[in-house]
Amino acid sequence: MRVKGILFVLIVTGLVFLASWVSIDSYIESEIEYQASLVNGAVVEIEDFELSLVDLKIRWNQLQVANPDNTWENSFETGEAELDFLFWPTLWERVIIEDIILKDFKLDTERETDGYFEIPINESGEEAEPGFIAGVIYEISSEAKENVNTEFSNIKADINVDSLMALLDLKAPEKIDSVKNGLEEKYQKWETTFKETDINKEISNIETTINAIDVKNIKEVDKVLASIKNVQKLAKQVDSLKTRAQTIRNDFQNDFENARFSVGLIDNWIADDYERALSLAKLPKIDAQNIAQSLFGQELFSDYAAYLEYIAIAREYSSKLAGGEDEEKIERYEGKDYKFSDKYEWPAFWIQNIDLSGETKTAIQLAGKITNISSDQQKTKEPIVFNLGGSDASNRSMNLSGEFNYLGEDPRETVRFNYSGFSLAGTKLSPSQLLPYNLVEGTGEVTAQVNIIDKRIDSEIEYLNKGLKFDFGENPDQGRVQQLIRNAVSSANQINVTALVDNVDGPLKVKIRSNIDNLFVDALRSTISNEVEQARAKVEARVKQEIGNRKEELLSFKDEKEAQIRQEYDKLETRVEEELAKVTKLQDDLEKRKKEIEEEIKKKAADALRKKIGF
Amino acid sequence: MLILLKYIAKLLKALASEASPAQIAGGLILGMIIGLTPVLSVHNLLIVVLIIILKVNVGMAILSFLVFSGIAYLADPIFHNFGIWLLEHEGMQATWTAMYDNEFWAITKFYNTVVIGSFLIALALCIPMFPLAQIGVVQYRRHIHERVMKTKAMKWLKGTKLFSVYQAYSRVRS
Repeated sequence: MRVKGILFVLIVTGLVFLASWVSIDSYIESEIEYQASLVNGAVVEIEDFELSLVDLKIRWNQLQVANPDNTWENSFETGEAELDFLFWPTLWERVIIEDIILKDFKLDTERETDGYFEIPINESGEEAEPGFIAGVIYEISSEAKENVNTEFSNIKADINVDSLMALLDLKAPEKIDSVKNGLEEKYQKWETTFKETDINKEISNIETTINAIDVKNIKEVDKVLASIKNVQKLAKQVDSLKTRAQTIRNDFQNDFENARFSVGLIDNWIADDYERALSLAKLPKIDAQNIAQSLFGQELFSDYAAYLEYIAIAREYSSKLAGGEDEEKIERYEGKDYKFSDKYEWPAFWIQNIDLSGETKTAIQLAGKITNISSDQQKTKEPIVFNLGGSDASNRSMNLSGEFNYLGEDPRETVRFNYSGFSLAGTKLSPSQLLPYNLVEGTGEVTAQVNIIDKRIDSEIEYLNKGLKFDFGENPDQGRVQQLIRNAVSSANQINVTALVDNVDGPLKVKIRSNIDNLFVDALRSTISNEVEQARAKVEARVKQEIGNRKEELLSFKDEKEAQIRQEYDKLETRVEEELAKVTKLQDDLEKRKKEIEEEIKKKAADALRKKIGF
Repeated sequence: MLILLKYIAKLLKALASEASPAQIAGGLILGMIIGLTPVLSVHNLLIVVLIIILKVNVGMAILSFLVFSGIAYLADPIFHNFGIWLLEHEGMQATWTAMYDNEFWAITKFYNTVVIGSFLIALALCIPMFPLAQIGVVQYRRHIHERVMKTKAMKWLKGTKLFSVYQAYSRVRS
């Protein structure tokens, strides 16, 4: 044994431990902050990070996760936290955290510094395509804006259609004219094609060649064979002409299809112009769906889109993290790893259990669990499950539970949310002019349930407003509509609103209904319905007048030109077919003539032989 | 470079008469294990520690590592196939599974065909190589050393400036 050697090994081991002891905390802290900021798209900060290799614990005093959409705000922050991690997976470059206790969890807190994080170019990757949920959010946000400014009172039948049209700038006439110009160019092109095609010239040449062959006067076999060869060439030429003619037909049929598609859009353009005119004139459609959307749509759908944002974030993070899993590569002579059990089938990142406590922005004490957040659910075989809830002394309660399940082929998200017992005193139920009254009393309850399976969404959000008492005093009557609405709502001490968003039976449907829709519909129909209908009829008539006969003219122009071109093609096709028939007949005649000459020669030879031998 | 030269000189000295044949043979087989098996394996850390703390010839261990690394490059397919045979051997499945499920054994990566194949072949080679190396050293000293020292290569090595610098450094140090 070398004493010096033993000392050397001991010193090196000691130095390695010392170095890791001194610098590992700050190194890991900065590495976690960097990687988490990359995933989050905004700064993630950990304060007083501490790693204890002795009892395998990580602690920190504060964690702030900046909101990428507003970097002066945190999406959430936590106070003191302690987590237990497993040692062995770290040797496989896996982070498996068994338990996290997060205290003082707070949502949407303000930041003292800007949480902007510039993602390095080499880390930014490709811009992700907007996903399904983003599409649903967009549609719902658009719905939220619909009917927001609809006016139900002050509707007059004698609206000034001229000034409305001046403001409107109809799009349909311009689009129809543009389609017509496009069609004119196309038809011009086809007329020229048929006029200038060399198919006709080639047919004439073939005709001349055919006429020059006088089958009956051919007396020699050699000449017949030469003619047959020529005619075979002609047959090939005619075949090629037929193919060219068919190509021309396919091309113009394609052009016709495109033209038909453009023409088919005309009705949509006209309908769009009409709808824009109605919207500009602020002429509502008086039905329950429209009324409910005007009353509650904006707030309800905005809330709804906000809830969906969280699910979109979960789905996006899930795919981002899963993409980070290392692929198994077996390079030459690196050997092959055998797996004798699934013990090391760990994901790169797995938090098994989070015990969370904190408070909401509205000061409800919240506590609960989030389990199995991982970078690859296929490996953990567990979905993310969360259940948080809490209440306060004034009987307000909140509960959020759900599951993000990416175990199967299709991602599935289920979220249930309930917030109840909150006071409505001093608030308005709707920003609409139909319900301008403040509430003196009332409590609210929101229940939301969202189920998404890949691109299939089925969801419901319900507002229950109980014990309502409106303050009508500050709002003197402004007409019959207001009077009727006031009478209707004064008798209702409960207003329930339900929004349904689903695409279970086809395209996305966004519906909103409330128990007071019919009261409003009755009130409005008995007052402004006639005025609205008259005004709508005026606008429709004017839109039609402005567009005029453009559509009919375009259709007749299209049909006429199409018929002309088809006729030209038919003529060409007939000539090619005729020529083909002539060539085929000539071929048959020549074959026949060849046989005749051969027979004649045979006969002459036989006669000559007979004469010679004296028969 | 100076360190490499130092170990070459030490090796030559050791081969000549200084070290016991067992020390040189020990260096050879430990260097061989590192050379034949994938370098960045956990078991090689243990072998390096053994080279440092045991009185084996470090120069021979380095030389052996270099030579056997080259051999390993060619022999990897054999190690791989032997590893497959071992890891798929029915009678060994319980052992492999128990080792795989134990984290300590798992970090040795003995579940990899090349690691287990090359390690066991290297261990098996130790049995004949150790006595053969000892005999070789004795025979070298008796018959070859003189001739090696007279070769052009050795003369050239001794004539290099670097070697003179090393010799001066050794003298000062001693």
